[in-house]
Amino acid sequence: MRVAIAEDSVLLREGLARLLSDAGFDVVAQCEDAEELLRKANSHELDAAIVDIRLPPTHNDEGLRAAIEIRDQHPSMGVLVLSQYVELGLAMRLLADSAEGVGYLLKDRISDIPEFVAAVERVAAGGSAIDPIIVSTLLSRRRSDDPLATLTPREHEVLELMATGSSNQGIADALVITLRAVEKYVSSIFGKLGLPSTGSESRRVLAVLLFLRS
Amino acid sequence: MAASAAPRNIRLQGAPLAPWPRLLWAVGLAGLAAAIATFALALTSDHVPEQGLQAALVDWITVPYILGGLVAWWRRPDSRFGPLMIAAGFAMFVSTLQWASAPLPYTIGLAFDLLPVAVLIHVFLAFPSGRLERDTERAVVAAGYSVAAGLQLVKMLLGGVGTENLLAAAAAPTAANAVQDVQLVTLSALALTSFALLVARRRTSGRPLRRSVALLIDSFALGLVMIAALMLAGALELSAFETIRRITFVVIGIAPVAFLIALLDARLARSAVGDLVVELDADPAPTDLRDALSRALGDPSLTLAYWLPEFESWADFDGRAVELPTHDNGRATTLIDREGVHLAALVHNPSLGDEPERLDAVSAAAGIALENGRLHVDLRARLEELKGSRGRVIEAGQHERQRLERNLHDGAQQRLIALSLELGLLKERLVGQPDAMSRLDQARGEIALSLEELRDVARGIHPAVVSGHGLGVALESLAAQAPVPVRLAVDLDARVQERIEVAAYYVVSESLANVGKHAEASSVSVDVARANGSLVVEVVDDGVGGADSERGSGLRGLADRVEALGGRLRVWTPRGGGTRVRAEIPCA
Repeated sequence: MRVAIAEDSVLLREGLARLLSDAGFDVVAQCEDAEELLRKANSHELDAAIVDIRLPPTHNDEGLRAAIEIRDQHPSMGVLVLSQYVELGLAMRLLADSAEGVGYLLKDRISDIPEFVAAVERVAAGGSAIDPIIVSTLLSRRRSDDPLATLTPREHEVLELMATGSSNQGIADALVITLRAVEKYVSSIFGKLGLPSTGSESRRVLAVLLFLRS
Repeated sequence: MAASAAPRNIRLQGAPLAPWPRLLWAVGLAGLAAAIATFALALTSDHVPEQGLQAALVDWITVPYILGGLVAWWRRPDSRFGPLMIAAGFAMFVSTLQWASAPLPYTIGLAFDLLPVAVLIHVFLAFPSGRLERDTERAVVAAGYSVAAGLQLVKMLLGGVGTENLLAAAAAPTAANAVQDVQLVTLSALALTSFALLVARRRTSGRPLRRSVALLIDSFALGLVMIAALMLAGALELSAFETIRRITFVVIGIAPVAFLIALLDARLARSAVGDLVVELDADPAPTDLRDALSRALGDPSLTLAYWLPEFESWADFDGRAVELPTHDNGRATTLIDREGVHLAALVHNPSLGDEPERLDAVSAAAGIALENGRLHVDLRARLEELKGSRGRVIEAGQHERQRLERNLHDGAQQRLIALSLELGLLKERLVGQPDAMSRLDQARGEIALSLEELRDVARGIHPAVVSGHGLGVALESLAAQAPVPVRLAVDLDARVQERIEVAAYYVVSESLANVGKHAEASSVSVDVARANGSLVVEVVDDGVGGADSERGSGLRGLADRVEALGGRLRVWTPRGGGTRVRAEIPCA
């Protein structure tokens, strides 16, 4: 898979490039700022871009804007945004109306190499990777009339993994249960929350996140 | 209309520079002698028809100008107008020396023949200060003197007037006549120009003149018209010349009388000061004196500035620095001093300069009140200064916090992540060494904890998400993490200044933290919107209310932050009635 990296810290940029090359990715471009990334995205056929949210010149929202622009201009290209802080508001801006081919992870996550590589692969393939902190923030949210209270502890775990973008297989592996059991839990959760079941695994991410946010 | 180049000064203490009384007496006696000498010259003359009438006409001008000049000099020692009037009177007298039969006085008198015209134009244009304020006026007067005196010498050198003329160096009567025609026509034109200048000045003054001053200026204008007519009649050698001359003399003699009336009326005008004193007495609190002074001076455009010695600047009643007008923007300035230092400045319509007595009297009456006003303004200015410095301190603090947060983000946090990544890469090579792998995981766990702590520290130092992405995005996480359900409504179409956003962020975060700690609320609403040029933040809970003092101290810090930005923080917390925190921060 062909990927580009936009990260202004040399240390991290080279670390990321090494990590991804070792994992078998073709690192086509290593960019210092958002402008360079956008140029590379236009001139190369990329499967995914990994973007630091804080990029030069102002280190404000250049990275986020570049990610949103790539999502707009290159719908087939996955975008994984890395940040030293994850914010619910930013996640919602990034997702906008679809969770397909989007990732938003705390930067720390790159050190868990197998997990991180899996996230990049998922995003490049059109799936999602939402940081668990976002999901737990949403789950911990106080509600006056809480439908989450009706979920069993196991269903809670499944919901959490589902919201981060895990596939059914991923959930089964993480919880060490069968794929069939996962499917049963998923349909039970959708029933209890009153959500229409959507076929695609990435589409259900947005549905769950929006439900939790409301 | 141009104002005086230098502001006029009123000293509230210490006597003004009065002219030496003996000098006034000496000038008066000289004037008397001149008046008598005029008659003596006329009556002994061998070439003056109707001697008595001619002498009376000349004295009709000489005496009132010298007398009026003396009174003016005595009453308004600051003004040069008095001496100028006296000069006009004596110039008139000197020109009568041409009645003498002896060649020397005759020649001197001839040389001064037209000079009174130039001096009179000077007098009329120089009212009331005695100074010519504008270049056009200066040019007219200079031209008047050179034509009346300079060309007169040329004419006399050419032998143009009489046989007894000691200066005659040639006998060229035709050329001399031509010079005289030039003189008369030019002086006529200069008189008309001066008339136009007077009329224009009066039209553009924009402030109604006191009736006596209006009368005075009308008499000046009429005098100028008559001078113009007289000069023209002389050039055309009209038969009515002598009649016009007599009328002109009478008219010119009226001007000093009008001047004396205006001077007397100005003393009467001081009664307007009585109303001012009553008004100031009625309200001893320091108020802006502008309105009262404006009424007392009859100048609606009046502005008042107070001198702040500490800041070495002028300030308005709210303590904001103001600039006094420079002399080319149509305003005049009168400085009011006390014990040698400035107290206040009146910036007024230049036509008020016509009534210096009124300005003096009003300023004197307002003295104590002005001093009070100045103290008040001084206090306000210090308060403004304090506000400004508090704002700067908070701003500097915020910059420093922002810098620290950026340093943490780019430094320690970035390095720890890189280190953790390095350990992750190392772990990939340790397959088959479970002991080493688990110790490595432990190390990575420690780094993850450090990063989390650093993140909390960094967030506490400065909410970078606010700077990076705005208030709406930042508040979403705050609302989601709040201990009670939050209804969040952010209605902003664009970013506002960062320091305002940061202050608003802290208002919401502190308020939500308070709700969690004390309010026992079941829901909170957070509303952020722009209204009337302010960012309005309102956090309302349905809890127990009655915020205690501990809760108050956190709010105090918030209030400081909000007030430093010129805003206001208010808290309503009735017992049992929930708590409402409302911050309004002015934003451009």
